[in-house]
Amino acid sequence: MKLIAQYNRINIIAILFVLMGGSFCYYFIIQRVLIAQLDDSLKVEEQEIINYVNKYHHLPDSSTYKGQLTSFVLVPHPVKKRFFSTDVYDPADREYKSRRVLLFPLSLGPKQYAVSVSKSQIETEDLLTLIVMITLGAVILLLLILFVVNRLIVKRLWQPFYQTLQSIQEFDLYNRKPAQTIDTSIEEFQQLNVAIVDMTAKAIRDYDTLKNFSENASHEMQTPLAIINSKLDLIIQDHGLDEKLMKQVQGMYDAVGRLTKLNQSLLLLAKIGNNQFVAAEQIRLEDLISEKLFQLEELVAAKHIRIETHLQHTPVRMNRYLADMLLSNLLSNAIRHNVDGGKITIQLDTATMTICNSGPTLPFDAALIFDRFQKSDFSEGTGLGLAIAKQICDNYHFRISYSHRDDLHFFTIWF
Amino acid sequence: MKILIIEDEKELSSSIADYLIQEGYHCESAADYYSAVEKTELYDYDCILLDITLPGGNGLSILRQLKANHKMDGVLIISAKNSLDDRVSGLQLGADDYLSKPFHLSELSARIAAVIRRRKFEGSNIIRYEDLTIDTLSKTVSIHNKNIELTRKEYQLLLYFVANKGRVISKNAIAEHLWGDHMDMSESYDFIYTHIKNLRKKLIEGGCVDYIQSVYGMGYKFSLP
Repeated sequence: MKLIAQYNRINIIAILFVLMGGSFCYYFIIQRVLIAQLDDSLKVEEQEIINYVNKYHHLPDSSTYKGQLTSFVLVPHPVKKRFFSTDVYDPADREYKSRRVLLFPLSLGPKQYAVSVSKSQIETEDLLTLIVMITLGAVILLLLILFVVNRLIVKRLWQPFYQTLQSIQEFDLYNRKPAQTIDTSIEEFQQLNVAIVDMTAKAIRDYDTLKNFSENASHEMQTPLAIINSKLDLIIQDHGLDEKLMKQVQGMYDAVGRLTKLNQSLLLLAKIGNNQFVAAEQIRLEDLISEKLFQLEELVAAKHIRIETHLQHTPVRMNRYLADMLLSNLLSNAIRHNVDGGKITIQLDTATMTICNSGPTLPFDAALIFDRFQKSDFSEGTGLGLAIAKQICDNYHFRISYSHRDDLHFFTIWF
Repeated sequence: MKILIIEDEKELSSSIADYLIQEGYHCESAADYYSAVEKTELYDYDCILLDITLPGGNGLSILRQLKANHKMDGVLIISAKNSLDDRVSGLQLGADDYLSKPFHLSELSARIAAVIRRRKFEGSNIIRYEDLTIDTLSKTVSIHNKNIELTRKEYQLLLYFVANKGRVISKNAIAEHLWGDHMDMSESYDFIYTHIKNLRKKLIEGGCVDYIQSVYGMGYKFSLP
């Protein structure tokens, strides 16, 4: 749930609680105050009656003067003075109306009277109702205004946060631009913005450092190899060289070739691991496989390998170079480690790709097949081909596995 | 043909110069950014070999300057970085080709020839060697004006030989030129042998002398016997 909704909900519940609780207390307090007020005026009446009786030694008229009712009742024993509320039937309006009554004892000579003085409580109740209504109205108004404020203004207040959020989502390491933020006067968002800009700038710096490192490493290692290669190219031009020397030179050529390949493969592994191949595009895997097979056709023909393909249209979003490398490694492996007259089957659909080839069993534990430098002795390769393939798959969260059944090797990738 | 070699590794630079001079090119070299800029501004070249990592500046800015000055020199970038970004930006900036180190000098020579051909001869690109005529636009080969049929690989091989005529070319270089990284050395030697055999046969049948000579244990040389 969104923060504003969450906040609103808590806010409203808390306010409701407070206001309800407060209103109840308010109601009862006001009620008591008003009734106390009524009681005080009744006490005044009481005093007036007592004074009258003391002065004139007889009861005053029972009167309905000023809405108050006075009555005198003879009683055998003195009553206890008390205040109470009661409903009295009004024949004129044909309904019960509540009154506040003060009952007190009065003695006139030997006679005991219970005097009750009462006043209408209706006005008090009306006043109370009015007060409650006003309070309720205020509560509702308050809630409404809070709701509106939350909706409109709080959303606007959070705007810088949403902008920062968006620029984080749009941040692309490959474009090498740190996240953009808008100025804001809110301290927390200022802090957030500064932190985001710093973090993205650092990520870009680290990426560049890594990239430069692998490129510089490549440069440093390839340059001496280039020099050796070029010297060999010159040496063989010399007409005076005899066969034996030529053979030595050939050996050197081969060694340099292997070193170069090894170097390139190791650097590639590092780069893939560092996520330096970010640019991705939609690739039709079925087309790429066909291309690769065409490139390798001479090898295939030389070993008299039969190739069977079941290719469905499979678009994948990948870096083109990595896709090319992945297929290259898997397919040339399938050819190289095959027997003369052997077979290769390639099955491709949107869920998986399986390359299966005939060939001699692995001379090592199958679980190690994707490790670096794991290879069979007769193979001239670097032993990094499958390690690179696995690294590429890891990059794209594809699962790759090897299995061996019926004298056939299976490499399967789950997309 | 004038070549400018912009490369800071002296050994490499001199190797390249030696090879190209024997091919008949006139070579000059620059080992750092400023002398490179000076030379490119003062003179014109048929092809410039440009190393990107130079002391004193980035080779790509030399390329930019060349384009900004509308110079017609061909540019072949040679770089050890082998970075896709550099390759792409180099070609986008207007370089004619990109070759990553280490390379065989014969490969370099073939690429330079291709760059110069593209730049110099708008229209038909005809290469003549003795009795051979190669039309690189239509990709046809004729001997005494009679066409001969070559497979794609045989055509590439012939072009490679002619670009490096008179030089000994190692089997490694040929393998890399024809198949790049796809094949191991041991696999490719048989194929090379087969292709050479077929090419030889076709040339001789077409009426040529046998230009292809084997250099034992090493490779081949393409020249008058």
